[in-house]
Amino acid sequence: MPLAFLAILLPTLFWDRPVDTADTLRKAGFERLYVPAGREQAWRKEGFAATAFDRAGAVQAVAPTVEYHMDVASATRVPWVDANGWRFEREPGRSFFYDAPAGSAALAAAEAFTYGACAAIRAAPEDLAPFARMLKFLGEIDRPRLPVRANIGVIDDGSDTMAEVLNLLARHNLLFHVIPSADPTYDLTIRNVAEAANPYEFAMKTRRDLTDEKRLLRIYGSNVVLVRLTGDTSQGRVHLLNYGKAAVKGLRVRVSGSYAHGTLTAFAHPGEALEDYSVQDGATEFTIPELGTYAVVDLVLGSK
Amino acid sequence: MAAAAPAALAATDRKVPKYRVVSHYQPAAQPGMPGPYPGQVASVHAEKCIDAATEKPDAAVVREMMARGMQALTGDADVRDAWARFITPADVVGIKVNCSGAPGIMSSPVVVAEIVRNLAAVGVKPDSIWIYERFEDQVETVHYDRYVPQGVHIWTAETRRGSAESYDPATYVETAFFDEDDTRSNLIRLVGTRFTKIINVPNMKDHGAAGVTGCLKNIAYGNFSNVARSHSGSVTNTYSFIGTLAAVEPLRSRTVLQVMDGLRGVWHGGPFSPSRKFRFYPKRMLFGTDPVAIDRLLLDIIDDKRKAEHAVSVWDRSAKYLGGDDDHRNNPNVNPFVREPGHIEYAGQLGLGVYDLAKIKVTSVEV
Repeated sequence: MPLAFLAILLPTLFWDRPVDTADTLRKAGFERLYVPAGREQAWRKEGFAATAFDRAGAVQAVAPTVEYHMDVASATRVPWVDANGWRFEREPGRSFFYDAPAGSAALAAAEAFTYGACAAIRAAPEDLAPFARMLKFLGEIDRPRLPVRANIGVIDDGSDTMAEVLNLLARHNLLFHVIPSADPTYDLTIRNVAEAANPYEFAMKTRRDLTDEKRLLRIYGSNVVLVRLTGDTSQGRVHLLNYGKAAVKGLRVRVSGSYAHGTLTAFAHPGEALEDYSVQDGATEFTIPELGTYAVVDLVLGSK
Repeated sequence: MAAAAPAALAATDRKVPKYRVVSHYQPAAQPGMPGPYPGQVASVHAEKCIDAATEKPDAAVVREMMARGMQALTGDADVRDAWARFITPADVVGIKVNCSGAPGIMSSPVVVAEIVRNLAAVGVKPDSIWIYERFEDQVETVHYDRYVPQGVHIWTAETRRGSAESYDPATYVETAFFDEDDTRSNLIRLVGTRFTKIINVPNMKDHGAAGVTGCLKNIAYGNFSNVARSHSGSVTNTYSFIGTLAAVEPLRSRTVLQVMDGLRGVWHGGPFSPSRKFRFYPKRMLFGTDPVAIDRLLLDIIDDKRKAEHAVSVWDRSAKYLGGDDDHRNNPNVNPFVREPGHIEYAGQLGLGVYDLAKIKVTSVEV
């Protein structure tokens, strides 16, 4: 069965090691696997729900991380974030493959989950425990997907230049949809890639054209956290992905719209609650006391 | 003191960014800055306050300097009365030190200890005294705890650089200087929620971006998050950002006393001081409530020293002196930014004090 037709809700471990590692996976809590074609029967005999995964047919995802290019001149001193959100937006329905080096599998899982992407993640053995914990967490917070919110429409010409523009929009939390043609429901439509000779400047121009006041979601207190916003007429969900190595303390989030209350569910920080919650001037703000790898904030529209 | 800045050097067409100041705090009936002594500075010099060879201060001489300075500022014969004009026993006092140049230069622990001693004499309990700074890695080299009574808090906002947890999400200045993502600079939360008074203890230092760093820079950039974003390339927005931050309530109202520690100084490379070759020893302390007036005097102290060392003026804006950090660290005629010593006059225009030298009354004391 083609992978695209599998009802896969969560990212899945890709495991190409011998079957005699089955106990290791069991102890870590894995029950479902992607394996190289031809090995699925052997793994099924060990009790795993194993499915063959075609690496060659999948889009290669980068290992999510932050790179500090201290020696590279830049208009800002912002670190470079290697993220895949823009790829998921650009190619919905495709399968993605992460070859995740040690320390990145849990974030890769959270990233793929955030975007609802079908993803196989090849994890380092030392990452099995945190990866499994993340999958358990994602299973606990999973619920029917709400529409993705964005107010920038991008008519994608498929070029490498536009790829970099998409990357930078996502990098700067400028929420966009890839759209087939101009749509007046978006506050801003991007189409002319000829202007994007300098993708960074083009992304910043996009931000200026939109204006910060119209941005659906903003964060303060970190430059390594990327967000995604989903919602409908009664509720919203903010996904927060921390690409840095360290937890972010005191992250401030501003969401367009008046939400009566919000609930924080943070990976590895059970019981943590939102702080300094305020609703003012058509926007809702709150503080995440400590953001580890990933958290979601569920918001309910309306007055208290 | 030197003459005012040469007009040709100072002339510039500065673009002031649009600032959005958010604070729910109301100003005091008489804000601490410029306070009860606008345009007045007590300047105390003591040749023996520090041994320039060892950089060891003499605590007894410093005590005398501070007593004479507070008396000269207030006109009170009793030093305790002088301090009691600013501080009551019920106050919770933040002492804003400057440790960005530590361990080479910082608010001297001897000076800070003497402030704490005077606060205690007024009746402030140790638990109500907070020596504070933004960055833990800078303060921990100074060891203030060895100089002050047990119970005095030594506190930093950022135990890890960039952490926002200790800042007030509801009190900030918002602006975009260089398309940065995070456009807010938030005030340290304790300033609003805990401190009732603040004593500002800057040093006498050159500054690669601001021209000099004294009262205004220490109280502004030293109390807000995310301020380094104001510099990029050779451009710095310190001209308007420093005064804008310093004027935010409740910081402006609660900063009631300025004690400039000029036992040591830095004439190039500031605010840091990795090398002694750019340190000097003014052996002077300045007292007042007007940060603009004190910083106006500081401008000339630093620029006079630079001239004596044949270094380019802090007022010089020509591109030929711009260079990288490595060159700047070693060459007093190289600077990473076009400096903005005009930030002091700008702060004066915001009402934070008196900039015109002709209108500043300096009471000089020799110990």
